Amino acid sequence: MLEILIVGAVSSAIYAMLAVGFTLIFGVARILNLAHGTFYALGAYGAYFFTSHLKLPLLAAALLAVGLVALFGIAVERVLIRPMRKSQLATLMITLAVALVVEQVLFLTFGSEYRNVPAFVDAKFTIGGVDVGGARLLALGVGVALIAALWLFIQRTRLGSAILAISQDPVAAQYMGIPSERIFAVVMGISAALAAAAGVLAGPFLTVQPTMWLLPIVKAFAIVVVGGLGSIPGSIVAALMLGYAETIVGYLVSSSWTEIVSVLATLLTLVLRPAGIFGRRAAF
Amino acid sequence: MKLSAFLAGAACAGAALCCPTQVLAQGKPIRIGVPTAMQLQVGRDTQDAVKMAVDDINAKGGVLGRKLEMVVADETENPETGISAIKKLTADDKVDVLVGGYTSGVTLAQLPHISEAKTIYLNVGSASPATNAKVKTDYDNYKYIFRVGPLNSAHQARQLTEFISRFVKGELGITKIAIVGENAKWVQDLVPLLKKGATEAGADVRATEFFDAQTSDFSPLFSKVKDSGAQYMIVVLSHASSDIFAKQWYDSRFPMPYGGIDVKSMDGDFCDRIGGKSVGEMAVNFAVRAPLTPKTIPFFDEFKKRTGRSPVYTAFGANDAVYIYADAVKRAGSTDASAVIKELEKTSYTGIPGIIEFDDTHDVKPGTPAFKGPALLLAQWREGCKREVVHPKELRTADFVYPAWIKK
Repeated sequence: MLEILIVGAVSSAIYAMLAVGFTLIFGVARILNLAHGTFYALGAYGAYFFTSHLKLPLLAAALLAVGLVALFGIAVERVLIRPMRKSQLATLMITLAVALVVEQVLFLTFGSEYRNVPAFVDAKFTIGGVDVGGARLLALGVGVALIAALWLFIQRTRLGSAILAISQDPVAAQYMGIPSERIFAVVMGISAALAAAAGVLAGPFLTVQPTMWLLPIVKAFAIVVVGGLGSIPGSIVAALMLGYAETIVGYLVSSSWTEIVSVLATLLTLVLRPAGIFGRRAAF
Repeated sequence: MKLSAFLAGAACAGAALCCPTQVLAQGKPIRIGVPTAMQLQVGRDTQDAVKMAVDDINAKGGVLGRKLEMVVADETENPETGISAIKKLTADDKVDVLVGGYTSGVTLAQLPHISEAKTIYLNVGSASPATNAKVKTDYDNYKYIFRVGPLNSAHQARQLTEFISRFVKGELGITKIAIVGENAKWVQDLVPLLKKGATEAGADVRATEFFDAQTSDFSPLFSKVKDSGAQYMIVVLSHASSDIFAKQWYDSRFPMPYGGIDVKSMDGDFCDRIGGKSVGEMAVNFAVRAPLTPKTIPFFDEFKKRTGRSPVYTAFGANDAVYIYADAVKRAGSTDASAVIKELEKTSYTGIPGIIEFDDTHDVKPGTPAFKGPALLLAQWREGCKREVVHPKELRTADFVYPAWIKK
C-alpha cells in the first residue's frame, strides 16, 4: 500500500511537470504545442551531452540544459509559431514538424542508442520497508517544488498576474497594456524549462533516446484532456489521477495494462465530459 | 580541364587495351548486398563485420579471381522499408548475395521478395523459426533462405531451460524462480515453453509476469516478483525496456539476481551506457571474447581495432556468412544461385561462435555436447563493465558472483 503511494507520487510528479507546462502555453497563448515532448527529450540529451562530452559537473550540466531548452522554446515561439498562431491547425503542424525534425537531428547526432544521464543521487532509500531509488525521490521533491514555485510566481508576481490576465481574457488584457507577445514568449520559455527539467530528472531512471519525446506528449495530452485544457489545477489533479491509476493497475492487474490507462482516460473524458474536470469549455 | 580529363581517359583506355588479360582476370566484382538497420549497433556491426571479411578475402586475391564488393541498404525496423531495401539491392544494385537482417517481422515481410529475386539470403540477425519454415515446405521458391546466426528462438528456449536446470537449480541451488517477459509475440511464444521446461526440470515457477514494451516503471512488477517468494528472476527482454529494467533493478537494489535473454544487454556498451548498473546481470550471447573457436578471440580483437567497439551478435554471423558464401562459390566454381545453394547446404565451417552447419530448413544447427555448434552463452557483467562466461560450464571463464547488495 505504502509502495503504491510512493511510486504513484513519483509518476504523478513527472507527469505534472510535463502537463503543467503543456496546459500553461495552451491556456495563455492557445498554442497546442506538440513539440512539448521534444523539450523533455532535449533536456535529457542536454544533460547527457554536457556531462559525458563536455565533462561538466552534473548540476551545471542540468541547469545549462534547462536554460538552453528554455531559450530554444522561446525561439520556436518567436520564429515558427508566432507568424501562424492565428491558425490552430498551422500551429499544430509546425510544432509537430519541430518535434520530428529534432528527433531526426538527435538520431543523426547521437545515433539511436540509449544514452545515460547520471543521477544526482545513486543511493537507495528505504521508506517504511519500501525500497526506492534516490533519483526517483529527487524527481518527486524537485517536481513538487518547481510546480509550487510556478504557482507562487503566477499568483504573486506582476508578470504572473499578466499571464493570468491574458489567459482569462486576451483582448481585455491587451487593452490594459499587457504586451501579450512578450508574455507568450515568457510562458513558452517556462513551459519548455519545466519539460526539460522533467527530462533531466527522469533521465537517470528512464531511457534517453531520440523517440523519447512521443510518450510524454501522449501522457501530457491525456492529462490535460482529463484535467481540462488550459487549467493548471486541473492538470495537477489529472496528473495525480493518472499517475496513481497507472501504478494501481500495475500493482493490482499487470504492468502490461498500464499504458492503456491514459488512452482510455482521454477517450472517456472526451466522450463524457469534453471540457475535462476543471475546464470551462470543450477545447475541441 | 576538359582536355586533361580527355587525355587521362584516353590513357586509361589505352592501358586497358594494352594489357587486356589483367583487366579480364579481375572480372566483375561479386556484390554482397547488406540489408540491415543501419542506425542501430546491430546494423553498424553487420556492415563492419562484412567489410572486414571482404577486405580480408580481397587481400588474398578475391574469389574465382573476382573481388568482393559490399553494397548497403537501410532496412530499419519497418517491414515496408525492409522490402524496399531488398528491391533496391536485388533490382538496382544486382547483388549476388544478401547478408543481413535484424527484426523477424521485417525478414518475414522480405521473404517473398527475396524468393522472387532468386537471390541467396544469409540471415544474420532475426531469430524467428518462421523465417526458415518455408525452405522445407516450398523448397523451390525458398531454398535461397539461410540463417547463419543467431540460433532460432526455439533452440534458444531449449538452451535457456537448460540454464535454469543446470545452473540456477543445479549450481546456485535456487528452485524458486520468476519469469518476466516483454509483451511481444516471440516472448509470448517463448515464455510458456520456458515455464514448462523449468517446471519439468524441477524448478518452482512462482510468478510469470508480462509487461508492455513501453513500460517506464518496473516498481509494480518488481514488487510482485519479490512477493512471490522467487529467488531468481529469468528475463526475456528484447527491445525498448532493457536499459530501464537494469537501472531500476539496481536503483532499488532489488534483492535477487536476474538473467536470461536480454537483447540490448548483448551490446558491448550496454553496461557503460547505463552507468554500470547491470553489473551482476547475466545475459545470453552467442559469442564473447573467449576461446570458443580459434577464430573468436582474433575476430574480437581485430573488430575492436578497426571500429573501437565490441561486436554484437550480428557481427559474428555477418563475418562468418561472407566466408561461408565465398567458400561455397569457390566450390561451385560460379556465382549461379542454384549451384551455390547446393554447396552452402554442405557447409561445415569453423566460425566465430562455433562450427556452422545448416539443417534441412537451412537453419544453423545448435551446439550440443557432441557437436561444437553455436551455443547460448550466459555471460555475467562484472565490475568495470567486463563480461565473463558463466554458463555453460564447459565454456566458463569465471565463476558467478552475486551482486554486491545480495548476501549469500
